[in-house]
Amino acid sequence: MISFSQVSKRYPGGHEALAGVDFAIEKGELVFLTGHSGAGKSTLLKLIAAIERPTSGVVSVSGQNISRLSQRAIPYLRRNIGLVFQDHKLLFDRNVIENVVLPLDIAGIERRESLKRARAVLDKVGLLNREKSNPVSLSGGEQQRLCIARALVSRPALLLADEPTGNLDAGYAADIMAMFRDFHQVGTTLVIATHDERAIAAVGGRALHLDHGKVQHGKVIEGAA
Amino acid sequence: MIGWLRHQKHALISALRRLLAQPLATLLTTLAMGVAISLPGGLYLMLGTVNRLAGDLPAQPEISLFLDPQITAPQEQTIAARMKQADIAEARHVPKEQALSALSTSQGLTDITAGLADNPLPDAWVVRPHAATREGLTRVADELGKLPGVAETHLDSQWADRLQAALAIGRTGVWLLAGLFGFALVAISGNAIRAQVLARRDEILVSRLIGATDRHIRRPFLYLGALQGLLGGLAAGGVLAAAGWVLHAPVAHLAGLYGSTFHLLPPAGIEIAIVLGLTTLFGWLGAWIAVARTLRQVEAVR
Repeated sequence: MISFSQVSKRYPGGHEALAGVDFAIEKGELVFLTGHSGAGKSTLLKLIAAIERPTSGVVSVSGQNISRLSQRAIPYLRRNIGLVFQDHKLLFDRNVIENVVLPLDIAGIERRESLKRARAVLDKVGLLNREKSNPVSLSGGEQQRLCIARALVSRPALLLADEPTGNLDAGYAADIMAMFRDFHQVGTTLVIATHDERAIAAVGGRALHLDHGKVQHGKVIEGAA
Repeated sequence: MIGWLRHQKHALISALRRLLAQPLATLLTTLAMGVAISLPGGLYLMLGTVNRLAGDLPAQPEISLFLDPQITAPQEQTIAARMKQADIAEARHVPKEQALSALSTSQGLTDITAGLADNPLPDAWVVRPHAATREGLTRVADELGKLPGVAETHLDSQWADRLQAALAIGRTGVWLLAGLFGFALVAISGNAIRAQVLARRDEILVSRLIGATDRHIRRPFLYLGALQGLLGGLAAGGVLAAAGWVLHAPVAHLAGLYGSTFHLLPPAGIEIAIVLGLTTLFGWLGAWIAVARTLRQVEAVR
């Protein structure tokens, strides 16, 4: 599903976020990206979603070479990728369900169908009773779940999450990790960047450890459940 | 195709919502556009009215021949014979008594003419030549003027020519003004849309991240510009209608003083449609330019 070969990313100004990274992720895998902050976790996720382009090397997603992808093709790649952000990136000028419907509007799905799918996914993340609320009125954990609902509503084959439990207390974090495990079980490929060792231990999966822009090939952790 | 229509509908609804969400901004932009368009629009209507006024006057140019008071009978016969030649379509002899009585009755100058000791008017011919061009008319007029016994010729088409020339300048002026205010329209629309794009920065960036194409992001703003242009055109119609309503009574009064039923002409349906179409187009154009420029700016700051 995803493969990196000799991928480097150097930002303008000289900071080298990734230095010769090699790894592959199979379809349906659940992979954790670990490492201290600044180790290159976010950069790696941005390369997969074509938000950034590699300085050298080949990033391939679903058989497509991301570095060669034309600007016009990028939106269609992203429609198959669900993105969960640490800062949620919700829109506060519209209510909960309108936030969830956004990717479907972009994909040109019929309105009634969109709302039906949005309600189904809101139900899954436990926010169905808040569909008319403004996201501002939601707690941090609820906002994160809303962000996950928006990432999942278009049923992407790949979900990328950048520190999804970063700002949450332990209870909320466990909820969200349990949700990810459910998606993994229905066949979604997940790449989760986190430094939350407890969460990894609770869910289990392969861990790729990043250190100063290089991958220390990780171990497979058996999930507790 | 259905997906495309759905995108259009979605963008149109979204644009309408944005217009209604900021009624004051919408109103101000609409008024600015309306005033801008009403200036060339009003001038155009005024010219149309004057043009019609000019069109009511005799279209055929006439040459007036005023005869010498000391004219001899053979000279009179020569002139009468000349009037029967092929280049003259119609010639009418106006004896001075007839001219005086026409003056006193039709122009209401009875008091003055009654006080005159003798008739100061000369005998005259009113001639309508076949020639219609300016050169042809002048040539005939010159030739008739050289006949013995003719004191003076007067080409009646002169003032009409001058009026037509003035109207032509006016029409060029309308196009110039329309061009200038078209630019103004594009600028007003562009400015309004630029503000909208900046206000929607978050939405644009998030939409990008979840797979929105350039077209998808641009579309609601283009609709917004087009709608704003259409509203501006309608506002101009409102401004002109109000001006027409205010001017109606004074114009009727003035026309009454001239004994005319003259009144201001409202624009034709097709003219209204063309103006609305153009303002919509210019609004869209301004939006296009603003979106292209502003999106680059918004996305550069990531």
